Amino acid sequence: MSLVEIKDLKVHYPIRTGFWNRITDSVRAVDGITFNIEAGETYGLVGESGSGKSTTGKSVVGLEKVTSGSILYKGVDITKKANRSRLDYNRDVQMIFQDSLSSLNPRKRIEDIIAEPLRNFEHLSKDEEKLRVLQLLDIVGLDADALYKYPHQFSGGQRQRIGVARAVATNPKLIIADEPVSALDLSVQAQVLNFMKKIQREFGISYLFISHDLGVVRHMCNNIAIMNRGRLVEIGTRDDIYNHPLHIYTKRLLAAIPETNVNQRMAHRASRLAVEKIYQEQQSKYYDENGEAFPLIQVSPTHSVALPETIAKQLASQEGEVQA
Amino acid sequence: MAENFEQHSDVSATDLARLTQEAQAEATPSTAKIIWSEFKADKPAMAALFIIVGFILFVMIGALFINTPKMMETNIMAYFNQPFTADFWLGADSGGRSVAKQLIVGSRNSIGIAIGLTIISSTFGICWGLISGYFNGYIDWGMQRVYDFMMMLPMTMMIIVLVTIIPHYNSVTLTLIFSIFYWEGTSRLIRSRTLAESEKDYVAASKTSGTSNWKIIFREIMPNISSLIIVDCTLSFAENIGVETGLSYLGFGLPAQTPSLGTMIANANDPNNITQYWWTWLPAALEIIILCLSISYIGQVLRRAADASQRQGAAD
Repeated sequence: MSLVEIKDLKVHYPIRTGFWNRITDSVRAVDGITFNIEAGETYGLVGESGSGKSTTGKSVVGLEKVTSGSILYKGVDITKKANRSRLDYNRDVQMIFQDSLSSLNPRKRIEDIIAEPLRNFEHLSKDEEKLRVLQLLDIVGLDADALYKYPHQFSGGQRQRIGVARAVATNPKLIIADEPVSALDLSVQAQVLNFMKKIQREFGISYLFISHDLGVVRHMCNNIAIMNRGRLVEIGTRDDIYNHPLHIYTKRLLAAIPETNVNQRMAHRASRLAVEKIYQEQQSKYYDENGEAFPLIQVSPTHSVALPETIAKQLASQEGEVQA
Repeated sequence: MAENFEQHSDVSATDLARLTQEAQAEATPSTAKIIWSEFKADKPAMAALFIIVGFILFVMIGALFINTPKMMETNIMAYFNQPFTADFWLGADSGGRSVAKQLIVGSRNSIGIAIGLTIISSTFGICWGLISGYFNGYIDWGMQRVYDFMMMLPMTMMIIVLVTIIPHYNSVTLTLIFSIFYWEGTSRLIRSRTLAESEKDYVAASKTSGTSNWKIIFREIMPNISSLIIVDCTLSFAENIGVETGLSYLGFGLPAQTPSLGTMIANANDPNNITQYWWTWLPAALEIIILCLSISYIGQVLRRAADASQRQGAAD
């Protein structure tokens, strides 16, 4: 059984218009997505901004009200608040936020910030709690003198590590990492990512890693889901997604990764333009008449793509020939 | 589970005392210390603080030694007695009553009402605003309609009517009547900031850490809008001195036998008093000006202390 099973999850926001402020339409931020997160793995959720990936993450951690669908944890649907509090759900599922500064209360000292989940879930004695906070600071590579400081006294990378320390404080089973490094510069990104990997190895934590940065996702994730307009368009292993992409949206995302090899500049430009051309010409093939993605079709045991069955088969065989 | 952490960290129980000490040496100064160093850097504000604290203590203690009913008895022999004499330091009014003593008791009454009113109305307004802004949705809607209804009532008219209806009122009932109406501005101000504040990630982080809503409101959000609360409280304190004074001046404040700053300024209604007997109204007017100026100086220091970029005090 998977650690977390997400089934047909929908999050819709009502649009109110007119004199009576009636609901006339809805923004379908997340529109029926299904995937499973296994224990100990890093699951990547990729998509452009506004594709609903953060909303998905917030629903899984219980911050967003779900319109329909279910999220099963230990066989219990945790979209209901009563179930969450009965299970002490957030003891096992924590979150790392994108903006490290605004996710730490500026009026609280680091000790109180990291100890917050401990105070709510573990009820340790004063000394035990302080010891645990010091150990957590040590694990994320910060000194003990951070204990009585305020968040604004730290650099971005240090703050994000404090966020990581708070998330692992109760030894959770799953951490939702919502673009944890996109606000950091590159050298610090690597540092924080390596800390996250180290903690995963040592504590056996699963991550739901939400990002738009395909380079980072390749470094971190075994399984990847590509999200577009509130739906999943492609699910697969790292190899499936990076080497055998089927959906045009995945191909466009991959084409958008910047290349540093300037000698091949013209070739890269040509391949990007080719992908864009296919997208412009064949949009109707990849999306249904409403501009939405099709239901997922399995093309191999690990690989699914949101396309009509015939096109999926055809593309999969083409891809196979190119590889062969 | 605790073993898990011990295994992967070099820190163990034996290091606890040493590390705590290290951390304390590096600790950031507390808010109280920052405010104090800010006062030290601003000499006028420091003077203002001493004036306010000294004056409030003086009138509170001084008024205990004055027999008010006896003081308020008419003494025809002292009719508009000149100031700076042995019996009448600040002269006497048309009833031969000592202005200096009236000033002490009157300040006690006025400041007491202002403090009581500030505490009651600000506490209520802050709670109302915080709860309304944090919970949003239907709760916010309902609470804001109550607010709108209260705003619709003509405040001064209502107070005058209530004062006329209630047969025996004193400074306590007057404070309570005022506080029915004076929480509104505070509540809207606090609500608007709470709306913005409760969208921030640290509130979401507290929710995922399992903290309850009430704890988030009063322990997470309230400290973050404390600078706004402090500034609003100091300003409304200055305003509240004016509220009581204004109503007493119109004759609807405290009863005639209870002196207050307002009743003393009301002496200036008589042209004779303005031209000849300046000592009947000038001390009270000067006192209000000095008090309100001092409070605004203190408010400025508190605002600067809350905002690191405006600080003038010694760096931490």
